[in-house]
Amino acid sequence: MRDTIVIGMSGGVDSAVAASILVENGYNVEAVFMKNWDEEDQEFCTAAEDYKDALQVCEILNIPLRSVDLTDQYWEKVFKVFLNECEKGRTPNPDILCNKEIKFRAFLDYALELGATKIATGHYAQIKTTDNNFQLLRGKDSNKDQSYFLYRLDQSQVSKSIFPIGTLDKERVREKANSLGFLNHNKKDSTGICFIGERNFRKFLKKYFDEQPGEIISDKGTVIGEHEGLMYYTYGQRQGLGIGGGHGTIDAPWYVSDKIIQENRLVAVQGHDHPDLYHSYLTATNINWISGSSPGENDIITSKIRYRSKDSGCKIKKQSDSILVEFDSPQFAVAPGQSIVFYHNDVCIGGGIIEARSNTPSH
Amino acid sequence: MLYFDNSATTPIHPEVAEKLDYINREHYANPSSIYNQGRKAKSLIENARKQVADAIGAKSDQIFFTSGGTEANNQVLWNSIENDKKHIIASSIEHPAVIRVINKIRSFGITSSLASVDEDGTVDIDSILKLVNDDTGLVSIMLANNEVGTIQPIKEIAKKITRLNIPFHTDAVQALGKIPVDVTSLGIDYLSLSAHKFYGPKGIGALYIKNKKTLKSFIIGGEQEFGLRGGTENIAGIIGMGIAAEIATKDIDSCYSHLKHLEDYFLAKLHSISSNFIRNGNSNNCLPGLISISFKGHKSDVLMAKLDRKNIAVSNGSACNTGNIKPSNILKEMGIRDDLNLSTLRISFGKNNNEKEIDKLIEALKEIL
Repeated sequence: MRDTIVIGMSGGVDSAVAASILVENGYNVEAVFMKNWDEEDQEFCTAAEDYKDALQVCEILNIPLRSVDLTDQYWEKVFKVFLNECEKGRTPNPDILCNKEIKFRAFLDYALELGATKIATGHYAQIKTTDNNFQLLRGKDSNKDQSYFLYRLDQSQVSKSIFPIGTLDKERVREKANSLGFLNHNKKDSTGICFIGERNFRKFLKKYFDEQPGEIISDKGTVIGEHEGLMYYTYGQRQGLGIGGGHGTIDAPWYVSDKIIQENRLVAVQGHDHPDLYHSYLTATNINWISGSSPGENDIITSKIRYRSKDSGCKIKKQSDSILVEFDSPQFAVAPGQSIVFYHNDVCIGGGIIEARSNTPSH
Repeated sequence: MLYFDNSATTPIHPEVAEKLDYINREHYANPSSIYNQGRKAKSLIENARKQVADAIGAKSDQIFFTSGGTEANNQVLWNSIENDKKHIIASSIEHPAVIRVINKIRSFGITSSLASVDEDGTVDIDSILKLVNDDTGLVSIMLANNEVGTIQPIKEIAKKITRLNIPFHTDAVQALGKIPVDVTSLGIDYLSLSAHKFYGPKGIGALYIKNKKTLKSFIIGGEQEFGLRGGTENIAGIIGMGIAAEIATKDIDSCYSHLKHLEDYFLAKLHSISSNFIRNGNSNNCLPGLISISFKGHKSDVLMAKLDRKNIAVSNGSACNTGNIKPSNILKEMGIRDDLNLSTLRISFGKNNNEKEIDKLIEALKEIL
């Protein structure tokens, strides 16, 4: 019998085309629609729309569509962690945790229970098998590459995954969807954090936190405005600070450079080139190496400190349960809570969560 | 396909299907028109009204066509906002077409109380009576439950409620065609029906109203349905419902025993392949052929997927608009644990099913369980 592959079908164009490729390749394909979030407010409810789009695709491909409800697991394993991190003034990335705990764990388990040998998703990433090792590679479309979000997977997870569109670029994916008659062929790319979607981040989070306004100060210590709560801001943020004219001397925008948690104060500096916005070192914890072993200290590697940032050359020094990263050149807006992801050419080798940044190697 | 989801909907009776096609083609005139073809269409509707009335022991002028059971329920419940008395009592295991309406009309000044059920899904008469207050203007209890099939003691409840001068509504959508339904002997004021549950067409239902004056118009427009429901009539649907109602009541005895036989046959076979299941509901007082079973240690969505691969259709309670399975509220109200709740399938036989098909179902279950 042909292998059964369960594809995680979101209703978007990427997973739809991924499914079509699996069908073309002769697999026995079944689609599963995953629900991770319970919508209380109808205003933003898009799950029913997405399901309908997924159903249309499955009808064209003549594959079954099933559903699985993972809202409880998502709440426990992803959202609670996300809130906790926000509360500490950090900048968490729930999509990374969602891949590790939900898509490539709870969902994978469900698919195996359904009798699948592997799961597939519409991620722009590739998998290369070398002797007994499964490597995660960047997606071919460098503009869309999503390996950053997948760096927390381990060998058992990667070995059971297929990324059928990893060799395509987005344009080709949309063309293919169109030629197959998928109604979602020109559906907008989903942006931002999955459960927040298009809505206002601050407005959404306000449901979960008490009001904690405080002062915004300049690097000189002058009070220049008021913030609504440190969790609503991230490092390097420019918009939404509400710092009016009359502050500062040069006519340049203000950027968040630091959060002083104990004092509930936000520090802002003027101008994108301000030195306080740049750091040459960071420490990261919660390290995951996809292969299971760390790279050598002299390996030439590059890193990304956020999704879509350019690769920067760096060196890694292992410490007891963390790593110290030294960048070849200072990095803009290093944000604790975000992930630093390492690459060896096109191979995503792993990464960790940024704990602290500095301009000296001393800690 | 092996179709065992007849409580969700039934395949249309061939005679009804044929009639629908004929009516749509030949009798397209608007029944409100006064020329020959319009009059003809109107008289066909009135004929169907008589057929539906006869099926439940009502008079023709007590039958009002709606778009289905959901609308019939809505019509009765929404009318409460115009009543002097604003309190509604329902059972905790009513269909969403009752429960969610009651929740919605709260913002129009309606209060409500839900009567609990026992572990078999039977509503307790005394608990209903305890909920009655001076403001109670309606009691709505389903005749038979859609997920577990438990038949409620409507006659006994209605007797006590109507004695208090409180109107009584029953949602009989699951019952007609499976058990005898007689409005006089039930002693109720309103009763909802849906044609597609008894081999009729979808998109058509009816509300029995004992006394027309007690309800105001729900869908406002033309004067159709004696002013209670505006909108050009679904002629083919109405006529299809009439025929389906007639066939359903004519065949009621043979249908009941056929469904009961299939139920017994299935359960006996199931016992021979597994002992690790629990049947939910009151098996002594239940719609024939409707079986709610919790398969211990199995997840219903996985069971459904595996049966679906074999082209076997069963249900697991109510799926939402994204196809997700939530623990059934009805089973929850019956006190069934969440893990068993999520391992429950509803198998509902219809008159087209036979022993051979059940053998195949058993074969499939044997492989899966």
